[in-house]
Amino acid sequence: MNQKFKTALLFLVLPLLAVAQSVVTGTVKDASTGLPVPSASVLVKGTSNGTATDFDGNYTLGDVPDGATIVFSYLGYTSQEIEYTGQATIDVSLAENPSELDAIVLIGYGSTTKENVTAAQTTVKTEEFNKGAIVSPGQLLAGKAAGVQVTAATGRPGDGPQIRVRAGSTLSASADPLYVVDGIPLDATNANLNTINPAEIESFTILKDASATAIYGNRASNGVIIITTKKGKLSSDLEIGYGVQFAIDRTAERLDVLNGDEFRSYMNEVGSADQIALLGTANTDWQNQIYQNGTQAIHNITIQKGYDNTAIRANIAHTNQNGVLKTSGYKRTSLNASVIQKLLKNDLKLTLNVQGALEEIRNADEGAIGSAIDFDPTQPVFDVNGPNGFFEYFQSNGDIDPNAPRNPLGLLRSLRAQTDNNQIRTTLQADYKVPGVDGLTFNGTAGLDYNEFDSSSSRVNGSAVTLLNAGTASSSNGIRVNQLLNARLDYKKDLERIDSKLELTAGSSYQGFRRESTSFSQDNTGADIEPFQAYNENRLISFFGRASIDIKDLLVLSASISRDGTSRFSPDNRWGTFGGASAGLKLTNTDFVRNSSFISQLKVRGGFGVTGQQEIGQDFLYLNRSTPSNDQAQVQIGDRFYTTIRPELTTDLKWEETTQYNVGIDYGFFDDRLTGSIDVYTRDTEDLLQFGPLAAGSLGNFALQNVGATRSRGIELDAQVKLFKGENFNWNVGGNLTFNEIEITDLSLGDNDAPVPQTPVSGQGFNNFIQEWAVGADPTAFVVYRQVYDQEGNPLDGVFVDRNGDNVINSDDRVRYKQGNPDAFFGFTSNLNYKRFDMSFTLRGSVGGYNYNNVRAARENAVSVIENPGDFLNNSTSGILDNDFRSAPLNLLFSSEYIEKSDFVRLDNLSLGYTFNTDQVGIRASITGTNLFTITNYSGLDPELGNGVDGAIFPRTRGVIFGLNFDF
Amino acid sequence: MKIFKSTILIFFLAATLVACNDTLDLEPEGNTEAADGLNSLEDFQGRWAKLYAGLIIGGQQGGDGGADIQGIDGGFSNYSRLYWKLQELSTDEAIIAWNDGTIKDLHWQNWTPDNEFLAAMFSRLSYQVTLNNAFLRESTDGAIISAGLSGTEADLVRSYRADARFLRALSYYHGLDLFGTLPFTTEENAADGSDLPEYISSVDLFNYIESELLDIIDELPAGSGSEYGRVSEAAAQMLLAKLYLNAEVYTGTARYTDALTYVNAVIAQGYTIDTNLSYASSFLADNDRNGAQSEFIWTLNFDGANTQTFGGTTFLAHATVGGAMDASQYGLDGGWGGIRTTPEFVEIFENEENSADGRENFFTNGQNKSIADVGTFTDGYAIVKFQNINSDGSSTGNDLFVSTDFPVFRLADAYLMYAEIVARGQGGDAATAVGYINTLRERAYGNTNNGITTSDLTLDFILDERAKELHWEAHRRQDLIRFGQFSSNGVWEWKGNVQSGTTTPSFRDLYPIPTTELNLNSNLIQNPGY
Repeated sequence: MNQKFKTALLFLVLPLLAVAQSVVTGTVKDASTGLPVPSASVLVKGTSNGTATDFDGNYTLGDVPDGATIVFSYLGYTSQEIEYTGQATIDVSLAENPSELDAIVLIGYGSTTKENVTAAQTTVKTEEFNKGAIVSPGQLLAGKAAGVQVTAATGRPGDGPQIRVRAGSTLSASADPLYVVDGIPLDATNANLNTINPAEIESFTILKDASATAIYGNRASNGVIIITTKKGKLSSDLEIGYGVQFAIDRTAERLDVLNGDEFRSYMNEVGSADQIALLGTANTDWQNQIYQNGTQAIHNITIQKGYDNTAIRANIAHTNQNGVLKTSGYKRTSLNASVIQKLLKNDLKLTLNVQGALEEIRNADEGAIGSAIDFDPTQPVFDVNGPNGFFEYFQSNGDIDPNAPRNPLGLLRSLRAQTDNNQIRTTLQADYKVPGVDGLTFNGTAGLDYNEFDSSSSRVNGSAVTLLNAGTASSSNGIRVNQLLNARLDYKKDLERIDSKLELTAGSSYQGFRRESTSFSQDNTGADIEPFQAYNENRLISFFGRASIDIKDLLVLSASISRDGTSRFSPDNRWGTFGGASAGLKLTNTDFVRNSSFISQLKVRGGFGVTGQQEIGQDFLYLNRSTPSNDQAQVQIGDRFYTTIRPELTTDLKWEETTQYNVGIDYGFFDDRLTGSIDVYTRDTEDLLQFGPLAAGSLGNFALQNVGATRSRGIELDAQVKLFKGENFNWNVGGNLTFNEIEITDLSLGDNDAPVPQTPVSGQGFNNFIQEWAVGADPTAFVVYRQVYDQEGNPLDGVFVDRNGDNVINSDDRVRYKQGNPDAFFGFTSNLNYKRFDMSFTLRGSVGGYNYNNVRAARENAVSVIENPGDFLNNSTSGILDNDFRSAPLNLLFSSEYIEKSDFVRLDNLSLGYTFNTDQVGIRASITGTNLFTITNYSGLDPELGNGVDGAIFPRTRGVIFGLNFDF
Repeated sequence: MKIFKSTILIFFLAATLVACNDTLDLEPEGNTEAADGLNSLEDFQGRWAKLYAGLIIGGQQGGDGGADIQGIDGGFSNYSRLYWKLQELSTDEAIIAWNDGTIKDLHWQNWTPDNEFLAAMFSRLSYQVTLNNAFLRESTDGAIISAGLSGTEADLVRSYRADARFLRALSYYHGLDLFGTLPFTTEENAADGSDLPEYISSVDLFNYIESELLDIIDELPAGSGSEYGRVSEAAAQMLLAKLYLNAEVYTGTARYTDALTYVNAVIAQGYTIDTNLSYASSFLADNDRNGAQSEFIWTLNFDGANTQTFGGTTFLAHATVGGAMDASQYGLDGGWGGIRTTPEFVEIFENEENSADGRENFFTNGQNKSIADVGTFTDGYAIVKFQNINSDGSSTGNDLFVSTDFPVFRLADAYLMYAEIVARGQGGDAATAVGYINTLRERAYGNTNNGITTSDLTLDFILDERAKELHWEAHRRQDLIRFGQFSSNGVWEWKGNVQSGTTTPSFRDLYPIPTTELNLNSNLIQNPGY
């Protein structure tokens, strides 16, 4: 039946063909490589008469009228137009011209052109990275993208920053975004980016709104960051590169505490004779004792070579860092290797990526940081009679005083602690153009992320800590494995009749996670405690699909759906359906914009989506479980000690669901001299996974429950300006500004939405909370006593606003006041190059947030200094001289006096480089300063904190990096 | 070909979907394992032992790690530590210098329903009831059979059920005493906690506790029992005696006659007091074997190597040492400088710190008798009671975790209860009562020269004698309330948050139901005054 129909058609068409005007054939090649360009478009201009070149670059175009113009085009190449005057053969060489809008941009499970992006997402590339980030990849992003809040890593060697993408969609569950590295989504518990060499990162693509992230369904609510490492290039020369960097840094700030003389004169004012007798005769700067100049040395070797069908690249790097806190340090040896192989006449492309690191972290005793603030500055560091030669406080019976602060330097010198963290990530990706079906490609990825860690810690004999507690040795080891298997089909089709391009994607993904650890420790007599084994395993299965259509190169519509199952929840609750849809209007392609003299680019887009969250860190909550007691928690009944068994509470949880709406504009003015975008979004999360109280009658009084809701809203602005563009001098600047507001809309723990206390603070025993979750408030809202001030603005000692007028200051008088989250944060980057010099810097900061200065609140009163359960005195920060508080320390702990503005502007890095003029070897020298200055009114060590509570963090460092790069 | 391809596709899809749900069913391993039913005697014993451990340790790991109760530090959430604080800190017997949350409100008697120690105690009591209910549900005859137990093993598990009912009644009794009520559930309620507990009035709760104890008294280990630390018939009799003695406070109806019956039953069990042993011997690390144990009716057992907790006697030994006290003398690595006593309690003893009464053990060196500042440990005399050394002065091998057992019920208490009933004119024989008191005083003074006579047997004397004999054993608040001296009568330093002390409104005789509980369970009704 089919055969006959075809023959009939042929007979109909043949006469037409005979009468046809002209047929052109030819080959389209790449101008630089000479290789054929398959699927290039050959079109008679102004008509729909066109074809595409085949895999050899050959085409045949019929029906070409005389005098018509034939347009040859291909994505990423400059189009060519050739007039047809009867040629039988037209061969064309196309030159590459990557217009910005034609650039390929990654999206979830696929890619598209920048022009066709309809969701809110940003890509940050190598050139834009923070130059000072040489150890930690997350730091590369600080201040670079609107909506992405990076709280810089502390000064602890090997520390990574905290990254939040459009914060505010969760309370108790994890707030980290989903990281996808070379195609493999990372396990949230093993998402330490520091195992990736920052010099090896090609780009970060940050998917911000739900229409972009929805395809990741069950893990997408906090945004997705797609990290691509550098790969080789086909058909390229052998390149060898060697880079060395050497850095010196020191603590950027030190806390202003009282020195020996100031402390002595303060004690003379407030202390009794007995207390003054406890003073020593020295003048010790304890912070000076524990900090040192830190050093880092980093070596990078890269080799890459590209053949016709194979590209190989390998990078080996070694980092060695001594931290600014004595005895802290970090070593990392990393490897990033990739092989790209094309097979089957370019139909099949295989990419193998192996990325691994061996990390060795020397952990210092960070108790020394707090101890250095507390320790009496009139006491000496060393004492011949002290344990291991350090000065310590004793009781009258000759034993070490367990309640006194420990000698800070003694703490550092007595701890031997190291963590070895070994990681290897391998992904094998196959891209296969399915033969026989035009436009259909198959993509499969298999990945393995394997991590092994081993950490141990013990104290030196004879140290103060060992004298108090003989059981100081502990260790733990374990593995974390993450296996990925996903497959998808992409189908691209041109729908000529409606002048549209259709792209369809359908696929599925399986990911299995396993985490095991065993910990060993000792009790206070040095006896070994039975090893504790923790075990976690979960699996995720996802089916996803996406359809997008580009209508007349003007309107892009896109929708995605994902159906996800997790092993974390019970069979009734484990499957969820998520999805998103977005639309974009490419006004750039309208006559209005084409004819405009100042607008060069304009796109209006909007989208919405529903995503889920299930990162609660616990995998078996819905199953019946029981926990036995260890040997130290047995109970004696009769003559025997019994091991007890506790039945565990089961809870049937489900997804957190976030619904997000986003509207945005991408613009370009003055021939793309000024480009940028504006996004406005609102987001609601329901069924929040919250750790909250349970009614009596359950096997537990607190549990994770799906209760409550939050709402967050924001505006993101970013702009790039090409100030100068020329042969010798180029200057680009860019900036971003984000406004973000988060509000808890429902807590629903029972009948009333009663506030839930959060964030315990130190200084006066346990269970003192400074923040609370309450309906209508930001989750980082503080709860304090309002300090009363005199007419000159000085706080009155112990006088607070008595809200209910009952003449008693107690918990009924605490009010919500300010919040930790800033109202807005921003970044500003400048990149300049003049002939062989280049200079760049990044400024970033935030406004509108507040910090609770726990360091001051716990210390700045006379009672905390002089009244101690032992014969010792505590030092204080210098604010104690201004305020001279002597009243009850518990109330002072909650005073609003210690809620300080955390607004700041920081010069994150400033870098100067010079590229030498040589023939065979490319040499570039650079000098970079990191964290050069911070403008802030905050009196504490550093205004940049995660949640607004300052308990004396590991100080951030200020330093300089010298670098030299060779390219052969 | 197309149909063939589609079939293959559908087949694979179906296979994946079916495989999917199974792939997503995982089992926990490691320390916390899957538990689908009890399969051996060890399983039952482990859960039965947990019922006791719930009173003694805070969690499943030494040092109160893996805590049962959240929202408060592990050591703080220890049942014995919380119960002691609520029964002692609100009285003249103890005052604490620390600033943990709202702990000082307990002594000042101005606590609010937001007080986290009240909330933690309420959670602990309810958790203990729930654990006992869970055990009763899991140890039915059917469960014993399906676990394959028979003969003596089956009988043993059945006997554990009586223990569970006793321990549940005990926690309800604590709830009745502290809060006047407790969210009411039994093993009849749904296992998953989906039934919101009912509210039960004090009278109904009293009746329930009484009926439970009367029901199990024959199933508990007979007499004084044979396993140290396990409840027994004697323990149930003692608890009934306590219940009846305080019945007027709980229900408004006095039951002193019934109290007398059970006090006599306890005394008849054969416990003895060795008057040659010092009073202090009962509170040393070897009080389970130095002879003092002959007096103990029921103890909570602590051990420095195997039962490591920051509650119980570890708390009582450490928190009460500070100032100039030498911690090593008490077998400790150091003191926590928290708890000492008020001058009013000191004055109960004749000659105060110089009393010849061996039950007086004030440490006064460097301590001021009067308390100018609550936060200063050296204001107020310290008391040496629970020590972590053996009677021969030797150490236990662990100076952080204390091995001293805590006597919940002891014979001295029963003697004093008998004497009280006599003094109230509710039965009993005055001469017998005097004899009992004099036994205690013989041990206390080390001689027989400080005996009393029947004319000394007044209520005021009884209250003071209870203080001298049983101070710091978690009885004081209950005693003061029964004698009407807790709130609207009775004054001691810092009661009412005034140094010289004031009286407080009588609704303070009951602690309030915590705000969080009221928010979560609309069945509960707050106590009057809050």
